[in-house]
Amino acid sequence: MNADQLLERIATTLKRDIGPAVEGEYPKTQAFMAAVVLQKLGRELGLAAVHQAADEADTQALLDDLRVALEQSPAPAAVTAAVAGLAAARDDAALCALISALYAARAELGEQRFDALLGRVRKNLRASIDRRMVYAA
Amino acid sequence: MSATNDPKLEARILDYLKSRIPGGRDFSLANVSRIAVGWSHETWLFDLHYREDGREINTGMCLRRDPGNALLRHLSSLDEQYRVLKCLQDTALPTPKVYWFEDDLAILDMPFLVMEKVPGSCPSPWGREGRAYYQAAAERGTLPKSFTSTLATLHTLDWRAAGLEFLGVPATGPEFALREIAKWKELIALSDAAPEPILTDLIAWLEANAPSSQHVTLVHGAYRTGNLLIDDDRISAVLDWELQVLGDPMYDVAYVLSDLNREGTPLLSNLVDRDAFFRDYERETGFTIDIERCRYYNALYAMRSVAFWMSASGLYASGRSDDIRLARTAWSVPVVLERAATELGY
Repeated sequence: MNADQLLERIATTLKRDIGPAVEGEYPKTQAFMAAVVLQKLGRELGLAAVHQAADEADTQALLDDLRVALEQSPAPAAVTAAVAGLAAARDDAALCALISALYAARAELGEQRFDALLGRVRKNLRASIDRRMVYAA
Repeated sequence: MSATNDPKLEARILDYLKSRIPGGRDFSLANVSRIAVGWSHETWLFDLHYREDGREINTGMCLRRDPGNALLRHLSSLDEQYRVLKCLQDTALPTPKVYWFEDDLAILDMPFLVMEKVPGSCPSPWGREGRAYYQAAAERGTLPKSFTSTLATLHTLDWRAAGLEFLGVPATGPEFALREIAKWKELIALSDAAPEPILTDLIAWLEANAPSSQHVTLVHGAYRTGNLLIDDDRISAVLDWELQVLGDPMYDVAYVLSDLNREGTPLLSNLVDRDAFFRDYERETGFTIDIERCRYYNALYAMRSVAFWMSASGLYASGRSDDIRLARTAWSVPVVLERAATELGY
């Protein structure tokens, strides 16, 4: 039995057998919530490896597109630096820094280019949140 | 109602109440229960029985304790709740009468306030039973009118005369929205949550598009079924005074209009027909509902929700709270972020 299957099974027991037997509104709610947490944790664990691989591939595709976009026309130094930061770190903190840099450079970039660059970043954000929704919703 | 399983606490509550009612004798508590509502403070309900001047007195009370690890931490204090409720006591808005606030930790280990237990019930709108309750009430028609009318009372009360200026009066223009954004950014920073790129996008968008407020009113901040006590198909008390501000009334209206506050029904807050709400609210307040501003505030609510859930799950993760409901909110963050992304058009 995998860890995610084990958690799912414990969650079922909590919800079906233990929760209903608990007296008192507050502890009963706690028992039910514990079941929900275990269930969600199990689903997240079960998908973790697949989602991590998809995130890595998406980040690489984003970096490839941004490099092309920046080669075609130079961007403000802060945006270029943020793209380099993302290439080095490949994490959410660096992605946040890139988004902040785009907003800060909005006037310099012009609306059309700002929309295009932010739109490309948002494509990744949408794919990532859709994956998380599989277990979070 | 269940017992507290904490006889020592009950005895200390009783000792405190005796000290506050020196003319009374033969005190006892009944129907003591901790209820699973609210996120920020412990809420205890009980009935106090005593004799005074030869009379038998039975009075329902509600005690809220601040465990110090509250969801909103420094953004919501019982002291402020007490002050707000005191100010509202003599207005037309139905609110519980507050009796005492104490910040002496020697009394009950935590700051607490004691207020009236107003008659009525507060069905949660999230479960099947609650939805059925509000659906039936919607069909009868009285409660939806009371819902809108009470919000209109809240938005038209003279907050200066009530003494609520201490909440902070925003300047006209975008200051109200920017203050709210700053407040929730502070809570997010305190939560030590992992960086969330959609949240960064959302905050930058909100800051770039902050609307100008036209009116300054008292704003409840969480006006919906579940935060309103109902008795005989009317709102008997507006509860949950933790998010109130002075600001744009559209902030509350946006909350009423939000999809977040209804499940599987077109009825606002699971209760009110949208057209009737627009008609009655505009007639009773004289304000025109500004849909664009409500859309903006809806996005701001997404940011606020993320701040709540990050703070909540952080409290559990750091061991400052044992309430498992808070642990569950870690998975509410992506749900709200997904809605935010949709609001921003992606």
